[in-house]
Amino acid sequence: MKWNSRIRCALVCLGFTALFSTFSFRLIYLQMIKHDEYAGLAAEKHVYKQAIYAERGSILDANNEVLAHNAPVETVVADATHLNNREVLIPLLRDALKIPAGELSEKLEGNRRYIVLKREVPEAVAVALKGKLRAQNLRGIYFERDSTRIYPNGPMLCHVIGFTDFEHRGIQGVESSMEEYLHGQDGYRYIEHNRAGQEMVLYRGQERTPRNGYQVRLTIDLNLQNIVENEIDAAMREYTPQKATIILMRPQTGEILAMANRPNFDLNQRSEAKPEQMKNRAIIDMMEPGSTFKIVSAAAALNEHKVRPDTTIFCENGLWNFGGRPLHDHRAYADLSVRDILVKSSNIGAAKLAMSVGDQKFYEYIRRFGFGERTGIELPGEIGGVIRPPQFWSKISITRIPMGHEVGVTPLQMTSAMATIANGGKLVTPRIVKSITTEEGKAVSTFSPVVLRQVISPETAAQIGNALRGVVSDQGTAASAAVPGFAISGKTGTAQKVDPKGGYEHGKYVVSFSGYLPSEHPEFVGLVVLDDAHTTKPELNYGGLVAGPIFSRVAEKAARYLDLEPHEELGKSPVAGRVALTDASRR
Amino acid sequence: MHAPRRKAFNSINAASLARWIAITAALALTGLIYVYLTLQLHDLGDRTKALENDLTSLRAQNEVASVQIAALTSRSAMQRRLKEGYLKMIPISEHNIVRLGAPARPPGEDAVQSVANQRAGR
Repeated sequence: MKWNSRIRCALVCLGFTALFSTFSFRLIYLQMIKHDEYAGLAAEKHVYKQAIYAERGSILDANNEVLAHNAPVETVVADATHLNNREVLIPLLRDALKIPAGELSEKLEGNRRYIVLKREVPEAVAVALKGKLRAQNLRGIYFERDSTRIYPNGPMLCHVIGFTDFEHRGIQGVESSMEEYLHGQDGYRYIEHNRAGQEMVLYRGQERTPRNGYQVRLTIDLNLQNIVENEIDAAMREYTPQKATIILMRPQTGEILAMANRPNFDLNQRSEAKPEQMKNRAIIDMMEPGSTFKIVSAAAALNEHKVRPDTTIFCENGLWNFGGRPLHDHRAYADLSVRDILVKSSNIGAAKLAMSVGDQKFYEYIRRFGFGERTGIELPGEIGGVIRPPQFWSKISITRIPMGHEVGVTPLQMTSAMATIANGGKLVTPRIVKSITTEEGKAVSTFSPVVLRQVISPETAAQIGNALRGVVSDQGTAASAAVPGFAISGKTGTAQKVDPKGGYEHGKYVVSFSGYLPSEHPEFVGLVVLDDAHTTKPELNYGGLVAGPIFSRVAEKAARYLDLEPHEELGKSPVAGRVALTDASRR
Repeated sequence: MHAPRRKAFNSINAASLARWIAITAALALTGLIYVYLTLQLHDLGDRTKALENDLTSLRAQNEVASVQIAALTSRSAMQRRLKEGYLKMIPISEHNIVRLGAPARPPGEDAVQSVANQRAGR
């Protein structure tokens, strides 16, 4: 067969058609069938999901004073494969970041692509360093935006505010308990880079804007907190106790107005703090409350109508052998009215009041006052204390528990119990968070007072309150807790320290005073607790003599700050003028 | 005898040529406009990025300033200045104080509200 030109031409055409058809099919296969797979592979190389970090919310006091907020900082990182002049770069970084040259050389060795050189570099330092790198055309150093938590008041309110960890997550105090509100929600953006590593804004993909954390407003009033902090510092200098706690609370709403503990620590230098300094002793320390607990036995007996305020109880002339063990009063009292049992702080009288209501009923009242369970305050780590049920009591427990022994309570529970008396018998949940708002101030959540239960009748509360007024009088145990111009109800407490090995420590006491002011319309309840205070003479180590005067100073300044009008007949306040800031060092 | 030789001319269809030139020009112009607009978009993107960087930098400066303000006006800073003598506190004398009674709280702040008129609750 002879190939003529026409056939040859047709074969060539066919060949080309087949060739291009193959190309076309391959193209269709790649572009359509395998599109998603290859597009994904391409995106992996060029498209990045860039995180847009949300800012942590601020913490404010009741008057919107800043307690915790953020400062912008940068993390300086290096890509060793991009470094172009190590000899010039290392001295530059050494001077700017204050890192030893040897450490820098070691870090920048090899070909690692992500080397963290320094975290939390201040914005001004980072800007200056960027300028120098640009001027000298040095490559391979990158800056990542970050923030650090700043606490403008340093150690003030440290146990309440708490702090955050390395990843900006709250691990103590309000920072921890309000984490879900403070944290916010990070956003993201899909971006494409060009060959030089610069973002191509034109090809920005899906984007979600971050939601910054909410602002948490506390019930704490920094002015009152300042008064409390100064007084607790003064007490630490004067009595050098092992531990100390002062709490101020508004009884009607349960708002904590001030809360201070010692030892404390500086929130901005938290890495240097010891664990003992970090404990919020107001909610995690258990103590035997001593005589302040007598309000419970008196309230139980009065509320059960077993006695009236003027009912007299024989107090055994100061020594009562019950269950084979002696129970002492600090003085020999014969007959005392129920009111005077509180005023004189008779252990025997309190024991007899508790016995009049019986083990089970007395235990119920202890629990109704909130002891043995967490108060529910918005702070982490709170303990419930230890209240044993009557089946575990010894024969003498009914005589020891009314005077605040054989029980473990937290200072906050004791404050809350006193607030119940001040609040007409209503137990209100203590709270530290007032509201949660957006950055613009729009309310997200407000926390209303929660009345847990009516523990005792308003009449009983008034009777106890009247008796407690007598405590802060010349006849009572806490005359030095008085504030000129104001009627105060309160109760002292002096409990021997429990020895961890068993029994009690000789000569070591936990002294306290809990009271409220003014008696008729209480504006605040206060508690002062000093653990192992050192007085010039051991016989002076009593709640009324140590904690009482501290309460008096705190209450007087707080009353002035809250602009409570003093009663003329109760005497004029000796200090002229209103004082917002105190200077404890003058004393 | 040969027929007179005519010069062979390829006639040009002027209208068609003009149409093709116009189409080509339009396509070229479209291409150029496309390229120009794409470059413009890239340029706008770069400017957007630069503005974003400026904004971030300004925001950071603002935050730094806020931190400084908070630090300088904080309770502890004020007290330090008071001790150093930079600030002085003058007590307000009693006759200069005008008492206006309890300030009204915004409704909803707390559930317990005081009632001025005692009869209101009856």
